[in-house]
Amino acid sequence: MASSANSNQVPKLYRSVIEDVINEVRELFLDEGVDEQVLMELKTLWENKLMQSKAVEGFNTEEQAALQAAAQQQAQQAQQATQQAQTQQVLLPPQQQAPQQQVIVQDPKILQHMSATGMNAATTAATLALPTGISPYQQLITSQGQILQVLRAANGTQYIIQPQQQMVLQQQVLPQMQPGGGQAPVIQQVRPITQVLAPLQGGLPQVLAPLQGGLPQQTGVIIQPQQVILTGNKVQQNAQVMQMTGQPGQVQQIQQQVQQVQQVQGGAAPGGPQQQQQIQQQVQQVQQVQGGAAPGVPQQQQQPPMMLQVDGAGDTSSEDEDEEEEYDEEEDEEKEKDGEDGQVEEEPLNSEDDVSDEEDQELFDTENVVVCQYDKIHRSKNKWKFHLKDGIMNLNGRDYVFSKAIGDAEW
Amino acid sequence: MAYQLYRNTTLGNSLQESLDELIQTQQITPQLALQVLLQFDKAINTALANRVRNRVNFKGSLNTYRFCDNVWTFVLNDVEFREVTDLVKVDKVKIVACDGKSRLFFFSLSLRPFSLHLQTDSVRTRSHTSLSKYKTKSMTISHTVV
Repeated sequence: MASSANSNQVPKLYRSVIEDVINEVRELFLDEGVDEQVLMELKTLWENKLMQSKAVEGFNTEEQAALQAAAQQQAQQAQQATQQAQTQQVLLPPQQQAPQQQVIVQDPKILQHMSATGMNAATTAATLALPTGISPYQQLITSQGQILQVLRAANGTQYIIQPQQQMVLQQQVLPQMQPGGGQAPVIQQVRPITQVLAPLQGGLPQVLAPLQGGLPQQTGVIIQPQQVILTGNKVQQNAQVMQMTGQPGQVQQIQQQVQQVQQVQGGAAPGGPQQQQQIQQQVQQVQQVQGGAAPGVPQQQQQPPMMLQVDGAGDTSSEDEDEEEEYDEEEDEEKEKDGEDGQVEEEPLNSEDDVSDEEDQELFDTENVVVCQYDKIHRSKNKWKFHLKDGIMNLNGRDYVFSKAIGDAEW
Repeated sequence: MAYQLYRNTTLGNSLQESLDELIQTQQITPQLALQVLLQFDKAINTALANRVRNRVNFKGSLNTYRFCDNVWTFVLNDVEFREVTDLVKVDKVKIVACDGKSRLFFFSLSLRPFSLHLQTDSVRTRSHTSLSKYKTKSMTISHTVV
């Protein structure tokens, strides 16, 4: 490496400085009666910040580098293991484990929501009667990160699962999961699943129970913890949505679910956030399909309580939907006004006379700084010569050191 | 006391931030944090003086210069820093240089706001400057920091 000389030097130098300081300070800490633990914490914080700053080449400590690499690998492995473990737990009671795991693990993010919000009991029942004819169960996108699924009920109704809207984290038992067992037994065994779910997740299945109260048949109320987590984020975002989705009793319970989901969020799947982000993106995609397929009533009521975002990733205003846009339009107009500039009158006179640079230019990320000591500063007419020593430089985000620096500049 | 000049570096700032965090969680006292920083000053000055042995050249155009309280501050544009091994180019660089010859007690200029608010005692510096032109034999510079 071309910069190997200095970049080899800097980490070692910093390392030695840290060691020196910590050792010298240990006595001070003890004198003050501060525990050694705190001293170690100081050291750790210090080193971590150095690593985060990326100003030093590589990790400050090779050991830490190895530890971090190992930790990352373990985290990934743990995440995968957790996903599989959770799916197993959920499907244990009624079903054979193997086939179910395959199905679920393949699409860990599949969230099937009964649109309890948008469907009345009858419709839901019909949809729930899916098991009998659920073979045409299709997933629009089965690749990782795509949630949209199309279910064709026995009666031919296409039911599109919209993860965003539905806070009810119900998951239909996939008859596919039982390749050999047929579909009939699925239904029968579904109910025990819901009961089994109760111990699995604190209050969630309990909350679901009353929701399903009016539903004659429930194909499945399988709450997979992963998916619960995955929807947790959306849950947060759409908490307001839930308020609008009719059935107040369910809504409240759903909100409780949301909170519980959020709690579960924190505990499980370290990879959850990534999934959540993906799901959020999908949610927006799903919204596009919403208009056509699912009942439109709850959708319309989503917008009012939400602040309309007219830019960025979360933009919902540009999507083509049949939603009522009464509130949307008002908010759009207000925001468009902000773009107009009132600079009709420029600062009169003298505004262009100023030659000096604004000192506000220093408001960028990496200000290249050199802190050092000077041996000699020389000037001849407008030619300056600098003799500097013992300096630390931060250039383009990287740290360098020198014992001597000689420079020329013309003013 | 060594120059506190190097507190505003990656190394120094990360130390200050770490100390800040510990103060906020009340694991250490501000006084202790100050002591740590003073120790850091010593360590970094020593390390730079003794453990670093390389030379750098640079060339650019001088935008501004300032000499105040025996501290030079330069802003250079379009600078090339050249070491034997490599070359680094920057559009703008600020150089802050304290006097490397005589040891003055000096508090570094803060280029970025310090998050640590310390109570420091006043420090008086004394420098003997001979300006034959004005036939002045000594000059006392006093700095008070509250």
